[in-house]
Amino acid sequence: MTLTPEKTTVPGQRRHVMQVRKRNGELAPVDVNKIVTAVERWITGLDEVDPLRVATKTISGLYDGATTEELDKLSIQTAAELIGEEPQYSRLAARLLIDLVSEEVGEQGVTTFSESIALGHQQGLISESTLEFVTKFKDKLDNAIDLGNDLRFEYFGLRTVADRYLLRHPTKRVPIETPQYWLLRVACGLSQTVDEAIGFYRLMSSLAYLPSSPTLFNSGTTHTQMSSCFLVDSPKDELDSIYERYHQVAKLSKFSGGIGIAWSRVRGRGALIRGTNGKSNGIVPFLKTLDAGVAAVNQGGRRKGAACVYLEPWHPDVEEFLELRDNTGEESRRTHNLNLANWIPDEFMRRVEADGDWSLIDPSDAPELPDLFGDEFTEAYRNAEKKAVKTVKARDLYGRMMRTLAQTGNGWMTFKDRSNALSNQTGAPGNTIHLSNLCTEILEVNSDAETAVCNLGSINLGGHTTADGVDWEKLRATVRTAVTFLDRVIDINYYPSDQAAASNPRWRPVGLGLMGLQDAFFTLRLPFDSAEAKELSTRVQEEIFLTALEASATLAEQFGAHPSYPETRAAKGDLHPELWGAPMVQTARWASVKERIAAHGLRNSLLIAIAPTATIASIAGCYECIEPQVSNLFKRETMSGEFLQVNTYLVRELKARGLWTAEIRDAIKRAEGSVQEITELPADVREIFRTAWELPQKALIDLAAARAPFIDQSQSLNLFLSAPTIGKLSSMYLYAWKSGLKTSYYLRSRPATRIQQATTTAAVTKAPVVVVPAQTTTLVANPSGAGQVATLSLNLLGDTDGVLAASLENPDICEACQ
Amino acid sequence: MLLDPGMDLTLRPMKYPHFFDRYKDAIKNTWTVEEVDLHSDLADLAKLSPAEQHLVSRLVAFFATGDTIVANNLVLNLYQHINSPEGRLYLSRQLFEEAVHVQFYLNLLDTYVPDLDERAAAFSAVDNIPSIARKAEFCFKWIDSVFELRELKTKADRRAFLLNVICFAACIEGLFFYGAFAYVYFLRSRGVLQGLASGTNWVFRDESMHMAFAFDVVDQVRGEEPDLFDAEMEQQVRDMLADAVECEVQFAADLLEQGVSGMSLGDMREYLQHVADRRLAALGIAPIYGSKNPFAFMELQDVQELSNFFERRVSAYQVGVSGSVTFDDDF
Repeated sequence: MTLTPEKTTVPGQRRHVMQVRKRNGELAPVDVNKIVTAVERWITGLDEVDPLRVATKTISGLYDGATTEELDKLSIQTAAELIGEEPQYSRLAARLLIDLVSEEVGEQGVTTFSESIALGHQQGLISESTLEFVTKFKDKLDNAIDLGNDLRFEYFGLRTVADRYLLRHPTKRVPIETPQYWLLRVACGLSQTVDEAIGFYRLMSSLAYLPSSPTLFNSGTTHTQMSSCFLVDSPKDELDSIYERYHQVAKLSKFSGGIGIAWSRVRGRGALIRGTNGKSNGIVPFLKTLDAGVAAVNQGGRRKGAACVYLEPWHPDVEEFLELRDNTGEESRRTHNLNLANWIPDEFMRRVEADGDWSLIDPSDAPELPDLFGDEFTEAYRNAEKKAVKTVKARDLYGRMMRTLAQTGNGWMTFKDRSNALSNQTGAPGNTIHLSNLCTEILEVNSDAETAVCNLGSINLGGHTTADGVDWEKLRATVRTAVTFLDRVIDINYYPSDQAAASNPRWRPVGLGLMGLQDAFFTLRLPFDSAEAKELSTRVQEEIFLTALEASATLAEQFGAHPSYPETRAAKGDLHPELWGAPMVQTARWASVKERIAAHGLRNSLLIAIAPTATIASIAGCYECIEPQVSNLFKRETMSGEFLQVNTYLVRELKARGLWTAEIRDAIKRAEGSVQEITELPADVREIFRTAWELPQKALIDLAAARAPFIDQSQSLNLFLSAPTIGKLSSMYLYAWKSGLKTSYYLRSRPATRIQQATTTAAVTKAPVVVVPAQTTTLVANPSGAGQVATLSLNLLGDTDGVLAASLENPDICEACQ
Repeated sequence: MLLDPGMDLTLRPMKYPHFFDRYKDAIKNTWTVEEVDLHSDLADLAKLSPAEQHLVSRLVAFFATGDTIVANNLVLNLYQHINSPEGRLYLSRQLFEEAVHVQFYLNLLDTYVPDLDERAAAFSAVDNIPSIARKAEFCFKWIDSVFELRELKTKADRRAFLLNVICFAACIEGLFFYGAFAYVYFLRSRGVLQGLASGTNWVFRDESMHMAFAFDVVDQVRGEEPDLFDAEMEQQVRDMLADAVECEVQFAADLLEQGVSGMSLGDMREYLQHVADRRLAALGIAPIYGSKNPFAFMELQDVQELSNFFERRVSAYQVGVSGSVTFDDDF
């Protein structure tokens, strides 16, 4: 960047017609009618959209001499900026964007799907086999493109697709595929027959199911790394092994994988190093190196690398580990790019409950501990305690874990014994799960020689639900297709490390997840914490798991069981819900699938994992995985910019009642997306539209525990406390452990204070009001001494209503007033 | 009284506990410059159009000295005359925050402007860039107006001091910085300069609390000494804000000189007028302009964010957490 001081020109009062520069270089006057006409082409079905408003607002942001390209982009942006007022502008912005993308694709001479593939191949992006497949079935595939499905996209989802998912010309950097070409390309990359490809394309194109991002990025291309998750075992307690792990992590990260890596085998600070007769500096300096390595390798240029380190709480460096994400302290002992998770044996939780002592033991003194779980672990741990490096109160350490969660959201609580005891993969001795993954939903065995791998996809439950209920037949069909294609990835996948290539063909695990649970609840008008909601979510999960097992059994009948099947619990006749001891409703189908498994085994050792789905949920336009809504109005910040999201179910509800007004919108904004204070809404409606912050977290844990028997891996369960305290957290995580959950994920909390809102208007209080003459008003401290103090606007000059208007710049203050 | 001359050292009984609460809240928002990752910004800078690059270069030049001026006034004037140990606790905290901001923008300029001569030029923007010099003059005028006051003895002294407080809260932190934030958020809404935006987001959060504290002080004084607030003073505040808007508009004219799509000078002027009106409203003074906010991307700043770790660091976590381990709390 250069800084060249120049003379400033004070704005003159120039008044002439604004002009735009056309693609051929000519200047033309800006014509509002032309913009209106352009917008009108795209408003079918969007009766609330006002094309003139988009046009005039666009022109207002334009400068004289802007290019028509800038004008097009600005009109999309302008439409998107109106979403908070009227959600239909999201569809309009999406359609304008598709128009722009299609134009860019067309300018490369691409007018059909097969031409897009041909250009991609010519540019070295599309694989030989995909080109061959597409060339062979050219006409059928070209005709399968359904532009009508373009209309399903919301703006945020489409923006994400356009910015990050569409293949781009390597030098011109313009997209060479449209959104529909993209999905058909993904389908073709995984298909053996043309009908199969078209069927899978239609499913994805309807947004009822989406595979995870690595598959959406890479299927059909020349680098087919399509797995989401890699679980790397702890390096051995030796230098060569540690540096081998850095190398492996870098390779995995380069190809878009999220990485979990354990570190419990590496000796702690102060332990003897025999080779040099020196003392170890512990794990922190090594994790600092890992931190830098993860930041250095970005994932295919698309997003920053990400990794999570798992440590068992008996490790001597656990206290320093818990401080790695603090934002104060010595920088050389901080790792801002690593996520942290605790891999907790039951013995620790028992000691916490009993207020007992807890021994920190160096792994060089007890190298067997990471490979043991359950009673064997407990016995070995107790034996090793005599070699303890240090003894602490279990509750003190637990309290520190809670503090880390509250301060950083990190330090996830994941439970080692439960994760192992219920896993299908731990049926034979020596097979141990050593950690979960970056998002705490994958639980797979690994070792020094095997890095566990999982590829994922998620069903959009909202897309299978109408006001009449869940379409079970459609759900089953989706599960069958999903399992087939998740399984297919295993064979086509490129494995970035030898250890990953060694594991995946043996175990063939997949992770079929779920998103849009909140959409289904909204559609059926069920409060998130209601008994009906819990029952529905449990039955949906049973249906998904059962159908997935049937599909995997079918695959086993065709292609054989996965090679390590004899080492699984299923081989002994134990399925996950039975290990859990949970009631199974569809008894006949369970009995039948068990017979089929007994005869031919399973193609996949694991089938279900509920991933966070942050990106694909936004592409599908649904709420993330099993999460309640975070707010009725929020923004997303991503690498593509900022986007307003508004709860369209709520908007529909408010519109039906004639309440979708500027005042109500402002009130929701001031209340940070809450509708609890909107008294015009009946109590039952407000109950449905509570946010994650307003729901009892116990209910989230209860729902998770009820569906957990039908999840053979785990679920990314976030918990939400706007103002966490150690007391609340320690109660909550003990309850989660006792509920039998295998893992939990982020603790979400809210900022201690926030930016003053810049744009909400100070509310004119209608009634009841307190009339205070300006002269007699004094400002006193909040008598409770807690929270913040109301800043009252005194001196009521100009306030014709003669009422006291509380300054609502800070919503907390507003609450304090009432 | 809050503006009494003297050096009150007594925290108990606490006279202004709301100042103390603000101090405690501020501590919960601690952040450090090292947390802001600027590495993706450099690639973005190269992608910007010349018009946008010009905008950014001017903007960072303003940031280079803006917070230093505020910190100076805090030490030289506010700390001296706000005679409340709770208030001074908050001001001490604010001073620390200003230092973090200065460090952040120092780091930012060092990263953005690798050439040493250009870097030096950016830091001397108050001298050699006219649109920034004009804003600095405005600030110095209001610092100098009370600089000679050792004690606030007369009503005139007290009014002069209040005008200084209002100037820094409403015009400098509340208008100049809000103007600057608008450019940053505009760029972020286009998906560029995430590093600048995430640091600025935290600066913005701090600044809005500084402004709230200063308005709190003004309200407190008004409660204690209502007669200070007469028609003449009100007119002075209005004139001051109008002057500040003019300063900021000529700055905008410089920044947007080459034409930036989505941010026209007309819209920027309207935005600044809208912000000025809001500051007046917070002081209980009738608006001057009656302008509306034309920037939808600023409305986005009022809405809770939902970040995920693949995209950017989550900035929402709390630093101060209290309590001890129990098992029967509601959650």
